[in-house]
Amino acid sequence: MSVESRERILARVAEATASRAGLPHPGALETPLTDDPEAAFVKRFTSSGGEVVEADRVRGRSVWLTRLLRGLDPEVVGVAVGPEVPPEFRPRLPEVAAAHAGAGISVAWAAVAESGSLILPSTGTRAVQLLPPVHVVWVPRGRVYGRLEDALRELRRNLSAGVGLHSGPSKSADIGRTVVTGVHGPGRCMAVLGSHASAGTSET
Amino acid sequence: MDTGIKDYAARSREIIREEPGVRESVTGATIAFDEKRRQGYAEVDADTWRRWAEGVKNHTLTHLDRYLAEAEEQLQANGAQVHWAADAAEAREIVTGLAVRHGVRSVVKGKSMVTEEIDLNPVLEAAGIEVFETDLGEYILQLLEEPPSHILGPALHKSLEQVQELFAERLDTARDGDPDTLARAAREVLRDAFIHADMGITGANFLVAETGTVALIENEGNIRLTTSLPRVHVAVVGIEKLLPRMTDLAGFLQLTARAATGQPIGCFVSLIQGPAADPGDDGPEEVHVVLVDNGRTDVLAHEHAWEALRCVRCGACLNACPVYRQTGGHAYGYVYSGPIGSVLDPGLLGLHEAMPLPFASSLCGACQDACPVRIPIPELLLEWRREAQEEGLTPWRERAALAGLASVATRPGLYRLAGKIGSRLGATGAARVLPMLGEWSKDRALPKPSPRTFRDLWREGIE
Repeated sequence: MSVESRERILARVAEATASRAGLPHPGALETPLTDDPEAAFVKRFTSSGGEVVEADRVRGRSVWLTRLLRGLDPEVVGVAVGPEVPPEFRPRLPEVAAAHAGAGISVAWAAVAESGSLILPSTGTRAVQLLPPVHVVWVPRGRVYGRLEDALRELRRNLSAGVGLHSGPSKSADIGRTVVTGVHGPGRCMAVLGSHASAGTSET
Repeated sequence: MDTGIKDYAARSREIIREEPGVRESVTGATIAFDEKRRQGYAEVDADTWRRWAEGVKNHTLTHLDRYLAEAEEQLQANGAQVHWAADAAEAREIVTGLAVRHGVRSVVKGKSMVTEEIDLNPVLEAAGIEVFETDLGEYILQLLEEPPSHILGPALHKSLEQVQELFAERLDTARDGDPDTLARAAREVLRDAFIHADMGITGANFLVAETGTVALIENEGNIRLTTSLPRVHVAVVGIEKLLPRMTDLAGFLQLTARAATGQPIGCFVSLIQGPAADPGDDGPEEVHVVLVDNGRTDVLAHEHAWEALRCVRCGACLNACPVYRQTGGHAYGYVYSGPIGSVLDPGLLGLHEAMPLPFASSLCGACQDACPVRIPIPELLLEWRREAQEEGLTPWRERAALAGLASVATRPGLYRLAGKIGSRLGATGAARVLPMLGEWSKDRALPKPSPRTFRDLWREGIE
């Protein structure tokens, strides 16, 4: 690394900033708050092509998820599951490497209504979140933020090395302006609302 | 710096004349993007958001030394390594050096304007490293050996038929393959590249000083993969990309997406703090951030042009620009094209190098209305034009004509005389005498001048 360049760049920046008055930070943007973050999240996330499944009244979530995955088209045979997923949220299907899995299973740190996003910390395995064609994400009950700003304010207290915000399936319109899904990342992104309240929140 | 900027006029004519499909593709795509941007703005209090974003960027740029130092300190505390590059050559050297040191044989790249700016790929390839552009549009262009023509849709000047032909030849897809089939074929090649790559190279949309966070926005997931799977991640970041706080990012992530495509946020956002640290994390072992100047401190020092450094590279001004729509980005001859390129390039490269870009605009103002950080592009264009005039960079005939106009217009007697001569000469005569009119009238019929001057009419009482 060139120490010289560092000093030179910083000196030139300092000289330029000294030549004009420093302008104040305008403070928070304060976007509108929503009364029902969960409903707002469902609306936004689905309008971006994401899918939401309610699992609030489900008993035996492991069996329930297994059935859901086997019912998909194409049927999910092997799964990749992040280390953060508690035993009761793991499907009863053979676990395979993420590159060969029909679905990846993760737990979100939180969801955000305003942008329709799932926040995925790298305490989970990134390949699980990205390589399989279907990504199923447990969203712990009570972990839906209204505003992105509030979510990021909390997140910064305990940031993992690489956080992903997933707000729908992978898509591109680079060929003939036609939208195609599943270009590189998952073509289906399913948020499951209503897992155990503490799941995934302790490891960020 | 070797650019094609000085051929702007000739290249524009050539594209319009010989590649009419480009105008058709670019106009269609940009009108669609612009409409989505309008819808995206309409869903929120866009005026307030844009003023806020302008304010945050102005604050950051007027305290940039402080925030650069803070970002460096945070990144290092996170375990990332920070490098500083004064120019393109040094940036290339740093990245290539890292690749060689890590024994890298294959690189995957996320779409990045700054790596185009520093012309990174050829030096990596010269070092025997295989480079894969992984954004679908960039991948198409890499196969064609063409530079991107638009910040957001690098291949939007290409029609479906052109991609069908290309992929049939290179990836063995059917000649009439639909976009889904074509994308699947590219995915297969690139999936393999992701899994085998030793290094991932990206740019950055933002760098948060408070947390040392490299933030990246995208829709395909290729950047998430580029920053996650290879064992080394290198982010090449212009020094103007700083944001003070993590909470600032919330507004910028959403505003940038709305300005670019009308989406509430990109499908994927990566927030990279440093190398993998947690037991379950399969992220990179090393993260390097290369902070690039390459002319940015010149722009920052400029009395007016510094405002262009607020740019978030959303492409909204390109989409709104009636001039850009005619030719797409290639005519401009440099990586930053369209309205923002025409104000940024003179600052980055020097005005002499960037001529005649400040003149490649009708000053209609659509760019400024679209810009999420309210860069006064028309004003900056006028400022560069004024400087070009002062430095004698405009054609001598134009300078002479303007000087002539100034001396005639400030002398009533002469002005009267000139008016009379003009009306007698008629349209073709005037076109022969006045240089700018001559160029304009090549492809157009000039209106016939009134036989009597305005002053005569005024005296007689206009009916």
